[in-house]
Amino acid sequence: MTLPRRLRGGRWLRPLGLGLWGAVLLQSGISGRLDLLLRAVFHPLVWISGVVLVVVALLELVGGGGAAPTPRQRTVLLVGVVVAIAVLLVPPRPSFADLAANRDRELLDEPGLNFVVPPGQRSLTEWVRLLRSQPDPKLHAGDPVRISGFVLPVPGDRPQLARLLVRCCLVDATPVGLPVLWPPGRPLPKADQWLELRGVMDTERFDGQTRSVIRAESVRPIPRPARPLEP
Amino acid sequence: MSPERLATAWALFQALLIEAMPFLLIGVTISTLARWLSPGGQWVRRLPAHPLLGPLTGAALGFALPACECGNVPVARQLLATGAPLATALGFLFAAPVLNPIVVASTWAAFPNQPWLLVARPVGAVLIALVLATLLARLPEAALLQPALLEERQLVLPLSQVSLLERRSGVIGADPLAAQALAAAPRRTPRAPLAEILGHGSREFIELAALLVFGCVIAALVQTLVPRPWLLAVGGAPTLSILALMLLSLVVSVCSSVDAFLALGFAAQVTPGALLAFLLLGPVIDIKLVGLFGVLLRPRAILLTAVSAVLVVLLIGQWVNLWLL
Repeated sequence: MTLPRRLRGGRWLRPLGLGLWGAVLLQSGISGRLDLLLRAVFHPLVWISGVVLVVVALLELVGGGGAAPTPRQRTVLLVGVVVAIAVLLVPPRPSFADLAANRDRELLDEPGLNFVVPPGQRSLTEWVRLLRSQPDPKLHAGDPVRISGFVLPVPGDRPQLARLLVRCCLVDATPVGLPVLWPPGRPLPKADQWLELRGVMDTERFDGQTRSVIRAESVRPIPRPARPLEP
Repeated sequence: MSPERLATAWALFQALLIEAMPFLLIGVTISTLARWLSPGGQWVRRLPAHPLLGPLTGAALGFALPACECGNVPVARQLLATGAPLATALGFLFAAPVLNPIVVASTWAAFPNQPWLLVARPVGAVLIALVLATLLARLPEAALLQPALLEERQLVLPLSQVSLLERRSGVIGADPLAAQALAAAPRRTPRAPLAEILGHGSREFIELAALLVFGCVIAALVQTLVPRPWLLAVGGAPTLSILALMLLSLVVSVCSSVDAFLALGFAAQVTPGALLAFLLLGPVIDIKLVGLFGVLLRPRAILLTAVSAVLVVLLIGQWVNLWLL
């Protein structure tokens, strides 16, 4: 099989490269990778860019022409093609615990803190926000807790249950976590494991201070949620 | 590197790349549209070359491009290729990532209770652009610009602005009458066919995407290997905090459209000068940008840009700390 004249001399590499980058963006949306990598507000931009790139690649394929790429341009094109294929084939599988260990712990004082939500329906992030705004541990003692998150090892303390907060993309993810009194007589959970936890809010003395802690009554392993990042 | 850490670096690489690519596409689209709508780029060459007015005009052009620094690179390249004065193009390159509606709005959204920051960020960005443009414009263009860009630029510049040694075309040695005829010929450049413009835009995108990949790989690896708490551990010390936050902005490499939200996370832990330094340095230079700058500037010029930007931002940060602490 011979290529049409307009695609000879390596001219096919450019539409291929453009199409692959478009496919990377579209596939990120289709496969749900975007939920793991970027905050939702940026998703439409990625979808539109993917469509534009695929359309331009098709236009280049059909009506393309122009000069054949120079050896240097061929190298650049080939590198792009290889990386795009690698991104397509190898999905991101970050270790949340590893990422969190490399980040400072802090929390945005964002509005939208919903005190109306009953304790049993609060997410982990909502609990952390509440405890930051009303830090007296006695206020919350006895409240039912039902949250999910990943296990985050903490040096000098028991593993916490945590979530990652993201403002833009995974790059700026910062962890928020809650201390847990894990059920006695069972081994401590492994780092990065996703768990759903039911229990009650309690208090304990730690490092000379009283703090809120979740007394876990049931712990159930769950798969990583489709949207693991919190705004 | 452990497999977990490698997997995290791979995810960070993808996050950086997928976040930046749409902005890169916006920039290439604008530069391609500009090439199509104004093929000769005559208006570009009429922009001011004055050392003060030039960068200010370039900075003001930023309001026309609501993109971050990744999108600015192809537009700045187009400005330079169509013969814009160096001062204006460099002013645009360095100031526009901050002086655009999205970045101003996101800074306001992140810091509504710190009005000084809303003023200091754009003013600081203009100041940095002025210094860098003045400094870089002193270099000969051959030492500043990438050869391919220089060649493209010299084709459109008036012959009087290109030295004899640098000319690749022109009327040297030609029949004087023919030269006169050439000089008198209408300067209007015909609009190129859409397919040709599309091809040019595609080539530009592919090339910039490859450089973006390179920058994102380095940024993801550095982020995975350098614990961020180390950088924020010196938050309270006036000078050290500025240096630490500058280093963080170089490493993190997030776009200027969103860096204010990232800065919000550690605003309370660091000095005001350090906070401003983070918001000023990232849009001018970071690890991801170093790769993209490869289509514009020679390596020495990139190094000069980085060193000068760091020094200017350090001075601004110190001054702010003296003023506010």
